[in-house]
Amino acid sequence: MAVQGEDRLKAENERLRAELAEQRSRSGEDERQLERYASDLRDIFKAERARAEELRDSYVATVRALTNAVEARDAYTGKHAERVAAYGLLLTRGIEPALADDPQTEFGFLLHDVGKVAIPDQVLHKPEDLRSDESRVMRRHVVIGWEIVSRVPFLERAAEIVRAHHERWDGTGYPDGLAGEEIPLAARIFSVADTLDALTTDRPYRRGVSMPEACEVISRAAGSQFDSAVVAQLVATPHEVLESIRDQTD
Amino acid sequence: MASVLIVDDDPFIRKLVCTTLEDVAGVTIVEAANGEEALEVARAVKPSIVFLDIDMPVLDGTEACRLLRAEPAGADATIVMLTAAARDEAERESEAAGADLFLTKPFSPLELLRLVDDLGTATAPG
Repeated sequence: MAVQGEDRLKAENERLRAELAEQRSRSGEDERQLERYASDLRDIFKAERARAEELRDSYVATVRALTNAVEARDAYTGKHAERVAAYGLLLTRGIEPALADDPQTEFGFLLHDVGKVAIPDQVLHKPEDLRSDESRVMRRHVVIGWEIVSRVPFLERAAEIVRAHHERWDGTGYPDGLAGEEIPLAARIFSVADTLDALTTDRPYRRGVSMPEACEVISRAAGSQFDSAVVAQLVATPHEVLESIRDQTD
Repeated sequence: MASVLIVDDDPFIRKLVCTTLEDVAGVTIVEAANGEEALEVARAVKPSIVFLDIDMPVLDGTEACRLLRAEPAGADATIVMLTAAARDEAERESEAAGADLFLTKPFSPLELLRLVDDLGTATAPG
């Protein structure tokens, strides 16, 4: 009786051992299978990220190509759009970093004058002051630019900048006569950057002024033409930093 | 609608395959835990793709493959054997038993998806 019981115990013991071994090997297999899933997931993630970067690069290239097409007609401005975008992004980073991280902000800065493609040469290139009817034609470039850019789904916020880049803080700008914070922040920043570049680059009819002089001129228009907060950010920026942007893209 | 039959005695693997193939357009997934169950399910659903594990209790994958091939329910199905690495012997046997493809364990979920996607679109009507 005792021997029989012992045999049964032995057999049971064997069976449990075998089951345990089987379970171990299975859980090892399961683990390897799960690792395989994880590694596939990682590969997909990497491929996805690379694709997103590629897409972003092609957006940037497209926007730059469009910008260059506009600037090609406007001989004296040189790399105006690139400089303005650089000043604009610098100021934006100090005021609202998230806005600077949005690629549409840079796109809007670069494309601000894209509507000029529709402005006739005799108006765009007229050396003298524009008559009031010509001035009206010229002013249309903001709405035309907005129409062009807003049709591109990934450029909707950029289009707002294009439309509002000639608005003024005191409400006397165009095309919508927006005032104060009704004007999108990026457009408020842009108009400071745009003026800074206009003042500090040489034009056929005058030489550019120095950075400190330009900042002084802009400061005087804080609260009328410009948002004081943006002007404060400009004034707080070391002149050398601004000068390096001016000289880099000459 | 095309159905995919996954046969493996490891419930974890079945769950993983089901989850992977879920929502792949136009495919329903059915499961079986061994060769014998696989035959029963196959008769009921006439699967277009069968994933067959080789080592299984009751009726192993190679034998199930041979039997499936002999039936109308499995004659036209694409049979994919799930094999452990370095199992040439088993692969040769399954090939002789009528298997079409081999997927080595641990298999890549991407490969699994591509396979079903390709076969699914190839056998779309029906």
